[in-house]
Amino acid sequence: MRLHVAFYGVLLALVAHAHAEEKSALDWLGVAAIAGHQTNYSGVFVYQYNDRVETSNLIHVTEAGSEYEKLVSLDGPKREIIRHDGQVWSYTHHQMVQMDSQQERSRFPFLLPEQLAALSANYQAKLLGIERVAGYNAQVLLFQPKDNLRYTHKMWVHTDSGLLLKAAVLSEKNQVAEQYAFTQLQIGGQIDRSWLKLSDMAGLHDKGLHHSPETDKTAKEITRINSGWVADMLPTGFKKTMEILREMHGKHAPVTQMVFSDGLSAISIFIEPNDEDEDDVEGLSSRGAVSLYRKILDKNLITVVGEVPPRTVMQVLDSVRFNGK
Amino acid sequence: MKNEISAMMDGELFEDEAESLLGRNKNDSSIRKNWAVYHLIGDVLRQPEHIHCDLSSKVRERLRDEPTVVAPRGRAVKQKMRTFALSAAASLSAVGVVAWMSLQISPEVAPQMAMQQSALRPASMQIRTNSNDYLMAHQEFSPSTVMNGSASYIRTVSYTREEAGPQSNPNEK
Repeated sequence: MRLHVAFYGVLLALVAHAHAEEKSALDWLGVAAIAGHQTNYSGVFVYQYNDRVETSNLIHVTEAGSEYEKLVSLDGPKREIIRHDGQVWSYTHHQMVQMDSQQERSRFPFLLPEQLAALSANYQAKLLGIERVAGYNAQVLLFQPKDNLRYTHKMWVHTDSGLLLKAAVLSEKNQVAEQYAFTQLQIGGQIDRSWLKLSDMAGLHDKGLHHSPETDKTAKEITRINSGWVADMLPTGFKKTMEILREMHGKHAPVTQMVFSDGLSAISIFIEPNDEDEDDVEGLSSRGAVSLYRKILDKNLITVVGEVPPRTVMQVLDSVRFNGK
Repeated sequence: MKNEISAMMDGELFEDEAESLLGRNKNDSSIRKNWAVYHLIGDVLRQPEHIHCDLSSKVRERLRDEPTVVAPRGRAVKQKMRTFALSAAASLSAVGVVAWMSLQISPEVAPQMAMQQSALRPASMQIRTNSNDYLMAHQEFSPSTVMNGSASYIRTVSYTREEAGPQSNPNEK
């Protein structure tokens, strides 16, 4: 509780600071990280990646200190994501599946000071003036990497509320790898809250949704571990933020996941016994800014995923080795 | 001098000797010429039918026209960068020649080269939907989720065109 008080203190200080003087790009980033979780809003945003555009509806409500979020795709087959703090449900193929259940996650994930420090060590942060997005004035921030192992990040932050209105990830040649942008956004005011009570599992059961036998198994077990696996060739500034053993949908054995972050993007390494499933294709693939590289190493299947260029996930995977007993 | 060049081509020079030779090579056009001639001799000995053009000068010209992307930071770095650029140029022209030669000589080498090159380009393969669970598991801890909230989960539920067709249900509201 005291933590929360301190947290609001920080928020107030940041907001006060915001009005008092010129903010740096990092200050803006901090403001946006908080505002995104504290503000009630509802809007339509487009997600553009590769040669495609998808439109989705996003509602975000904070009620009684809890965060609720609903994302509904407006194009193609209906896909829906509901998040209540650290719990995430996904509705696809007419099935509601609980994807994440990370109890430990702080209710307002926040950029930690050490993450901000890592960020300024690995990116050149710049302020690029004011632009209009979805009818609002936005401060434009640019984070250019100091090496070619990560992407450039560009963000548009609403000057009043601090909400992130648009975010683009640019490749080396300044081509857009992916971008999110609100095209219509309502901040505060009357926002539909009728779906809030659906976001506990009981509600979902009542709604009469199917549950495959696996579904209950996917109420995930997550254990913090020290697996003994290491990756020697992570780009500088990527610090390990998490190492867990988790159940994963459709996997017989628990999967080891290590997460490394440089403040703006993350790299996950998944290690699991190779069950010779033909679906687990080896090789490189990508979606928007996310690259995935998979390879069989001895009897293990290693998958590296991250919002980094393809060469980075390859470099990381090729350096993965077991260093334990 | 010629012996030294020949020894270096065979990998028989020590590092410091090779470095001094390369250093002189930069300033002395006769050494450069000898270097090229020796390579030509070697190539002709190995593959007499296919030697008829000198790619290195063309590659060098093209490289000269390329804008320098890296902003120099102080003199020491500048010096270093120049060495890098030179060795990069050398290895590039080597790759150029090797790739061209292997295409000429043995067709089965060509696909291998092509594969290596495609690995350097951005991946064109789309992440398959059966990997969505990995994306979701990754997303959970990614700073992009801190910034974008659930918006970044849209990545994890994106669908492929193939999937959109037959599997979508017309009765769905």
